[in-house]
Parts: sequence; C-alpha cells; structure tokens
Amino acid sequence: MSAPHIVESTALARPAAEASRASGLWAFLVIVAAMAALPFFASTYTLTLMVPFFALAIALLGFNLLFGYTGLLSFGHAMFLSIGAYSAAVMTSKLGILSFELILLVSIAASVIIAVPVGFLCVRYTRIFFGMLTLAFGMLFHSVLYKFYGITGGDQGMRVLRPLLFGMEFEGGKTAFLTGPFYYYALGLLTALGLLMWRIVRSPFGLHLQAIRENAQKASYLGVEVTRMRLSAYVISGVYGGIGGAILAITIGLADPEIVYWTQSGNLVFMAVLGGSGAFIGPVVGSLAFVLLQDMVMSVTQYWRFVMGAVLILLVVFFPGGLSGIAGGLFTRFKRGS
Amino acid sequence: MTTLLEARTVCKSYGDFHALTDVSLSVADGEFISIVGPNGAGKSTLVNVLTGLLRPTSGRVAFRGTDIGGIGPVELARRGMARGFQLVNVFPELTVRETLGVAASSRLKRTGNPLRSLVRDREIADAVEEVAEIFNLRHRLDQPARALSQGEKKLLDVASAFALKPELILIDEPTSGVSTGDKHSIMELLIDACRKAGVRGIIQVEHDMDLVARYSDRIVALQAGRVLADEKPEVFFKDPALIAAVVGTRPPQLRPKAANLNTSSETASQRSAAC
Amino acid sequence: MSMYVDMILGGVFHAAVVFLVAAGLQLVFGVQKIVNLACGSFYALGAYFGITAVAGAAAMGLPSVVVLPVLLAAGLAIGLIGLPVERLLRTVYRRDESHQLLLTFGLLLVFQDVMRFLWGPTPLTLDNAYLAYGTAEFAGVRVPTYNLLVIAASIAIAAGLGLFLQRTRTGRIIRATAENREMSEGLGVNSNRVFAAVFTVGCMLGTVGGALVVPASAASLEMSVELVVEAFAVVVIGGLGSMRGAMAGALIVGLIRAVAIMVLPEAEILSIYVVVIAVLILRPAGLFGKAMA
Repeated sequence: MSAPHIVESTALARPAAEASRASGLWAFLVIVAAMAALPFFASTYTLTLMVPFFALAIALLGFNLLFGYTGLLSFGHAMFLSIGAYSAAVMTSKLGILSFELILLVSIAASVIIAVPVGFLCVRYTRIFFGMLTLAFGMLFHSVLYKFYGITGGDQGMRVLRPLLFGMEFEGGKTAFLTGPFYYYALGLLTALGLLMWRIVRSPFGLHLQAIRENAQKASYLGVEVTRMRLSAYVISGVYGGIGGAILAITIGLADPEIVYWTQSGNLVFMAVLGGSGAFIGPVVGSLAFVLLQDMVMSVTQYWRFVMGAVLILLVVFFPGGLSGIAGGLFTRFKRGS
Repeated sequence: MTTLLEARTVCKSYGDFHALTDVSLSVADGEFISIVGPNGAGKSTLVNVLTGLLRPTSGRVAFRGTDIGGIGPVELARRGMARGFQLVNVFPELTVRETLGVAASSRLKRTGNPLRSLVRDREIADAVEEVAEIFNLRHRLDQPARALSQGEKKLLDVASAFALKPELILIDEPTSGVSTGDKHSIMELLIDACRKAGVRGIIQVEHDMDLVARYSDRIVALQAGRVLADEKPEVFFKDPALIAAVVGTRPPQLRPKAANLNTSSETASQRSAAC
Repeated sequence: MSMYVDMILGGVFHAAVVFLVAAGLQLVFGVQKIVNLACGSFYALGAYFGITAVAGAAAMGLPSVVVLPVLLAAGLAIGLIGLPVERLLRTVYRRDESHQLLLTFGLLLVFQDVMRFLWGPTPLTLDNAYLAYGTAEFAGVRVPTYNLLVIAASIAIAAGLGLFLQRTRTGRIIRATAENREMSEGLGVNSNRVFAAVFTVGCMLGTVGGALVVPASAASLEMSVELVVEAFAVVVIGGLGSMRGAMAGALIVGLIRAVAIMVLPEAEILSIYVVVIAVLILRPAGLFGKAMA
C-alpha cells in the first residue's frame, strides 16, 4: 500500500531538459517578431492560418507546463479549448455581449471553475491513470455538448459572432477582420502569455514543478507540495487552454463538440511532441509546424490522416526530441564543427 | 541534553503482520544514531514511521516534543527534519544548482507566487552556494545530476536534504554503491557538513559495520520488529551474540574492526560533540 | 417484461463484442504495459475485412450459413497484421508512455485512411447475413439467433483465453513475462517472441470482435475512434490489465448503454463516462485491478 501522490516516476526518455535556457526566450521573440512582420509580405491565406496557430500555441504553452514541466500527460486537454470556445459562443450569440475582453475574462473564469474540481480529482494520479482520467472528463464534456441539443446546439454547435476589440467594431469582411485587427490582437495575447509563461517556468514555482516531474517522492521530502503544485499547474494550463479556445472559436466562427473529441486532445499531444516537450519554445514550434503541415497535406491529398499519422510515427520513433530537439542537435554540431 | 526525536512504544502492523513491536528510541541533541539489523528486521518501516510517512498503529513519535505520526514529507521538512535516500534519488535532468534550489525555495517559502524570479533571488543563490561549498559540489553547480558520478549523486542527494537546514537528518545507507575507498571520505564530509550546517542530530540506517562502529554514538539494533539492543558502540561490539544477530553470516570479520574501535569512536564523539 | 429482456440481450450482445476488443487491450497492457489506441483500428479492420470475406464466400457460392465461421476466420486472418505492428511498437517499449500513446495514435490515423482507401468513405453493411440464422425464442422474446451465437462465441473465447493463460506452459510464460520481464528473460524466455505473440493475439481479439459485429451493424471509418473510448471505459471500470475486469466492465458498459437508451437517450454515452469517472475516483485500480503504484 502506498499513497498515490508519491508514485515514483520512472526514468523518462525525455530529451535533456533545456527548459530554462535563455535561448528559449530569444527563439520565442524571434518567432513573434516574424509573425508581426508577416502581414507585410504573406498572402491573406497564409495569414488566416496563423490565427489558429496563435490560438493553439497559447493552449499548448499551458499544456506544456503540465506535460513538459510537471510530467503529467493530459489526454483530455481539448476540454479547455471547448470551454473557451463555448464561452465565446454563449457570450456573443446568446447573451449578445461582444466585447472580446469580457469574453476572455469569462473564458478564464470558466476554465478556473472547471479546472479546480476536475484537477483536484485528477492530480492525485500520475502517468497513465492521470491520462485516462483526463480523457474521461474530456469525453464527458464531449457527450454533454453533443447530446444536450437544446442548450448547446448539439452537433450543429453554436455560432460565434465577431467580437469587439477594445470596444471597437470593425467593418469589412470576415477575412479582413481575422487577418487585420484580430491577427494582431491574438499575436499580442500570444506574446503576453508567452512572456508570462517564461516567468512562470523560471520561478521557484516552476522549479518545483520540474522537481515533481523528475521524482515526486524525493521532491516531497524537499518540501515540495506535490499535489498543490500539480493542481496549480493544471489550473494555469487550463486557463491557457480556455484563452486559446476562445480565439480559435472566433476564427472558426463556430463552437462545436468536435473541438473536444479525444482525437483533438491527441492532436494537442502530437503538437507538443512535434515541437519538443523538453523545450520552452516547443509548443510554439509544434503548433506552427502542425498547422502548416496539416494545411499542406490537406491541400494535396484527401488521405491527410495517413500522412499526419505517418509523420507522427516517424517522429516518435526517430526524433523523440521533436523539432526543437533536432534544431538543438544541429546547433550543437554546428558549434562543435566551427 | 534535550531530546530531538523520540519514539515511544511504537507498533506498526499490517493486518496480522507486526512489522514493529514496542519500539522505543530517542535521539538527543548532538547525537549520531545508527539503526542496524538484518533484512526484514523492520528498518525501513521504522524509518517511514520516524519520518512521519506512516502513522504508527500505536505508540507515539515526537520531534521536539510534538507528534509527527503520519504528518507526511512536506510537513516534516517544514518542522526541521530531512531524509536522504538509500537509492540515489536525485532529479536526473535538473542541475546541481536547481536541485539545491528546490529545497532552498521551499525552506524560504518562495513558491506562492508563480511569477517570482528564481535567478534574481539572492537568498536562494546564497543558500545554494553555501551548501554546494560544504559538499564540494561548487564546480558541478551547472551540471545536470545525471552527469555526476555515483559518489557525487549520493552527495547531492544528501546535500539537497541539507539545503532544508534541518535540525535532524535521517540517511539511509549514505555510502551504498560507493567504492570502499570513497565511503569514509563521504562520511567524514557528511559529519563535517552536519557541523557547518547546524544539524543537531543524525540517524543513519547502515549495513556496513565498519561505518557503524566508527561514527555512531549509539547503535539501535532491530530484530524481527523489536529493539534487540540500544547501546554505545563500545558495549555493542563486545557482544558477539548481538553482532551475529545483526550481521547474520559474517561475525568473525568483526574482531579486528572492533579492535580499532576505541580510537574511532572517540573521533566520532568528538565530532558529534562539536556538532 | 419482454421489453426488459430485449434491453438486457441488446446490452449483453454489445458487451460481448466490446469485451473482445477490451480483452485485447488488457492483454497488451498486461504484458507490454502499453495502452494501445490502435485497438479501435483493429476492430474496424476486422469489420471491413469480414464484409469482404463474406462477399467472397457468397461469390464462391457458399451457403449463407457459413457466415459466422467465415467471419471468425476472416477476423483471425487479418489479426496477423499485429505481427508487423508489434515490430514497430518494439521501438518504444522502454520509452515514455506519451511516446507509446502517440505511436499508437499515429497508427490509428494511418489505418483510418488505409481503410478509407481500400473500402471507401461510405459505411458498408451486411444485412442479409444477419437473418441467415433466423430468430430464436428467448424468455418470451424473439431475438436474432446471430446475436445469441455471438454472445456464445465471446464467452467461448473468454473461457479459452482464460484456460490458455492459466493452464498452458505458454500461458504461464506470458504471465511470468507480464509480472517481471527481466526475471523471465533471466530464466531463458525470449521476451521478444512473447511480446510478438501476445500483441498478435490481442490484435486478433480486436479483429474478431470487429468481424463478428458487422452482420448487426455497419462497418464505418468512425467505428475505430468511437470504439477506442468505449474499450477504454471498459478497461478502466474493470481495472487495467485484468481479464475478469474486462468482462465485468464490458457487461457494465453494455447494460448501462442499453438502460440509458431506454430511459434517457441523451445520456447514453454520458452515463458511461460518469461511471468511468466514479470508478477512477473511488477505485482507481478498477473493480478487478491490482492496486496501482
């Protein structure tokens, strides 16, 4: 018999944690700067892809606090995307409140309200049990959204109307809004939340999370409040997911149950590993690569699942460190060569 | 002499199995206690009870007069008692600096605000460097723990417990897996560190009778969940029956070691007196 | 009265099929410690291949009474796909479980499109086969004989699997490997071969389950992802790695669904997750699982 919270973590085949290296911040700022310059030369189509990327990157920054830093693999994190998405839908099309700032606040509040009890129940478990419990909660959400047609619109979903940004209304077509003001608004959010996350992972709090990932039992003897820290990480990651979901819903114009189906949670894990869960920049790289790859593959073939699945398999087998792992390896080789 | 830790008539049973029966022991200020006994004697259960991980079925464990039965590791650390591990138990991917920082930031209560900077925290940095200095780990501060040698990992494990600035530390076979040549230097370092860091008492669980003889002030021998003996080393090692009960198969070897016991136990008591 | 018998039989039929897939999941988790998300693909693969095989048998002019043996044979045959899949999984046995989950998730995506390529995007059905065995009178209710045959087949497979694991030498080797891989290797067991065999048997359980279900319901591309969560619910309720648990879990899930469809159709799937969460919280190891950690 042993208390569940001191379940020993096994040696993970995780790439060397470069999580707190300063290079992570620089890489993040370079990507943000590139995104800020993008509207000056990229096509409108490319820009419409970037807003979902910002949304997913925000959600993944949160996801990676839980997965990469705390060592908890959630297989139901799309739940928070749906919380943000349905918050936006209820606010805009049911209550007629269009202020995006208020939508964000409500999304954050709703995420916290859900994350605290769900997290409280889930974080007592680790490893596959945590994954399964979060998956079950995600699917519970899915079936609620799917089946209770009267409230949620069922599989039709709910419409998400164009919001006001800082109280301002924007004329023109949907694309102009998404690639213009909303593009910069979402990028601004990504920047702010990225910097905030940078502070979080480099705080004593973030250090304690990493100690839990490495060895929860040892950490507890060094005074780390394992359960409380895990819950805090879960709630923070949920809030990031909720914000990401609200942005995503506005770009799609719809909140539907598909956003919380378990395969969507699987895609989030895919993105995290694609970018490299051991690196701060991993979530941003992973979501960008995923969005671009999926768009490219879908435009070429109807069998995009096959290609995405094959990429995922190759990645897991040959490059478990993800793209940032590959880049880090190349960088080291380059430095050694010169 | 004040008592740091006291276990009084502690019993721990799992169903019909009595892991510990009426175990009493105490650790006074400045003392180095060794817990010895053959495998299955109940040492690890006793350690878990003494460190508040398990609540005794009956009896009481008190640290500085207050009950610590089943309080759990975090509260234990907060009250001033630390525990090192038998198996090397460091955080493989964290650097030495980060590992020591984990303990320092919980001692200094820095984790309430997730936006607080770690690198700019002078107090944590000072605490980390102080402990690293004591354990000769300064030159390794920015190495990940997995890159350390076995002996260094052992040191880091104990050092991280020291970074909590405990009054009492419990170490489980601090030199297991370390070469015979290194084990004395590690023990010397430990006792030296104990003095520098203001630790008031040490409990070690140890199989190696050489180390037990050389450093302990008192030896508590367990057998089948009961205290078989609680003696000073000079008394303990004069009783062949006792040694045989504790060590099992190799009592003859102990004669020569017992011979040089006087000098070594003197140094041990000098050291712990300075503690 | 007859309504309830109907409901219970429907639930048990569903349970019989889900049990097979869940048993495959359990077997692989018990030995390899991998939660295989691709078990849903095996199920769908068995369904599609079963339809093809029955069509082939009909083209050869075989009577419709052979449907059940043909489906069983088809399920077993396509289950051999487990061998190459296990070779691929071998690369991640000693890795982080996120990698294991993701690898099987990738397989699920790949298989889904392979099936789309081979059998097209529209669901396929095998209606006439369902009636080949006629109907039977059971506790005053007329039910398709086929359903009863599938329930019987599932029970027979469960019993056979149990005997195999408990009584045979190979079964003991498998259980020893599940208990402690290093030790059984030390005793001269070739664990690579055990893993390959176990995974293939696990895969066959899934494909047979899929093949057996097609006379009753259509083969579709979505059935793989849908079944994953259901099989997962079964193993969580029953306890990861436990065969008896898979049986109990499958019955619980099957009956809950059957009851919910009658009482509150909106809550059909919802009720399963409520039970899953309740079990995870109250008895995280499941009804028949070993204590975790």
